[in-house]
Amino acid sequence: MRNGLCLAGALLLLLAGTAASAANDQTFDRQVPAQPRGVVEISNVSGNIEVSGWDRSEVSVHAEHAGGSEGVEMSSEGGHTAIKVRQPASYGRGQARLQVKIPKDSELNVSAVSADVTTSGVLGVQRLSAISGKITAEIAGAEVELKTVSGSVQVKGHGQPARLRASTVSGDVHLEHGGGDIEAGTVNGSLIASLDGARSVRAHTTSGEVRVEGTLARGATVEASSVSGNLTVRASADGGFAYEVSSFSGHISDCFNKNPERVSEYGPGSRLSGTRGEGAGHVRLKTMSGNVELCDRR
Amino acid sequence: MTEPSNTDRKVTSLRELPQSIEPPHDLWPGIEARLGAIPAAADGATPAQRRAVRMRWLAAAAMVACVAIGVWVGRGLLPGTAGSGVVAVNTNPPQAVQPPVNAVPHEVYVSDPRYQEQRAALVRGLQARLAALPPAERDKVTASLQAIEKAKADLEQALGHDPSNALLQELLVNTYQDEMRVLTDVHEASDPGRGI
Repeated sequence: MRNGLCLAGALLLLLAGTAASAANDQTFDRQVPAQPRGVVEISNVSGNIEVSGWDRSEVSVHAEHAGGSEGVEMSSEGGHTAIKVRQPASYGRGQARLQVKIPKDSELNVSAVSADVTTSGVLGVQRLSAISGKITAEIAGAEVELKTVSGSVQVKGHGQPARLRASTVSGDVHLEHGGGDIEAGTVNGSLIASLDGARSVRAHTTSGEVRVEGTLARGATVEASSVSGNLTVRASADGGFAYEVSSFSGHISDCFNKNPERVSEYGPGSRLSGTRGEGAGHVRLKTMSGNVELCDRR
Repeated sequence: MTEPSNTDRKVTSLRELPQSIEPPHDLWPGIEARLGAIPAAADGATPAQRRAVRMRWLAAAAMVACVAIGVWVGRGLLPGTAGSGVVAVNTNPPQAVQPPVNAVPHEVYVSDPRYQEQRAALVRGLQARLAALPPAERDKVTASLQAIEKAKADLEQALGHDPSNALLQELLVNTYQDEMRVLTDVHEASDPGRGI
């Protein structure tokens, strides 16, 4: 009997807490005029941020923030729109979900801590950063800079010549249909890129894997290096490419039936070099102990 | 005409010379007097003895100098030996992420004081910065820092066997840059108001 009373009391407290929490959940909706090529800045600590581009000269915000957050601030002045979720300094409290629509040619700057960031349909410059949040971005022809500490980075391109720079400490980087100039780095995450006419690719990891597949533009360059991570490049290029592969203690393989040569008769180290097709492009792969695989077809 | 004296007589054969010639007087007292005029050495050693001792000391000093030069050259050229005279002194505070046991102090390769200062400043606050991160993120970042430490140690060890290897040198430079980037990112990431 006594146990039953205790259980009932606990349930009542739980219900009361849930009701209070629900009462604290708030929404925020606002639209402000904006310049078609203005700058939009968004920051949110926890939760998520979804940004999409549209044809209107307006910035629209829909926010749902739970207890713990201190509301949404929004300001717009002289082509500069700022949206900020005010949060306590500590992590993991007060999540907010932001849905933002901006003029598609806007320059977009997003800063997050553990919030996930997603963009789509934004044609202007994008600079997105998160600490542990995951970044998912759709890129067009403009410059894109993505940066995380432990969050992963997922990028979807359409083969347009863009300039993409992605860096993370421990997160993974995935790129689909990458064109233009691509630069990516991680320490122990993996870099996986499918290319669609890329002009230049630079990838660097410490212990993570680098895998690049797809098509390169004529005269493209691919440079990848790692300390202990494996490097795989399977890419075709109009006009072919000259290649130089070096490894101190890793294994080098290719699909050309060409054997790597030893750098030294007595010490470790091997190198593979040659030309495929006209040798219009250039592929350079370097690693200390990682294995390398190179092929000029997917 | 007078007869030539014995001294003036022409000698045509060694046999004609006397077997011994007695000095006209005893020379020893004069020699003894002159020897007595030379001040005796404090230790009582003769000049010949002192010269021999000096030569022995010079030889020993030369040997020590050769050994010292050998050690100095060895420590300067071979990586992985701390305290080389050609590199900066290790002023780093204890690190939050301990390098592997066989890691080599990277100061052997990087002696630029500006780099040392910047790195030391970032490392100094690393523990506190890591503590400010959520546990899951802290574990991931710690794993990354350990990966960098291991990479540095592996590269430095490999360079110890092949110091002029351009590939290893380039990768080591990249790894140093990665480390600084990670330390900077962690530094900035733990400041929620600033972002990375």
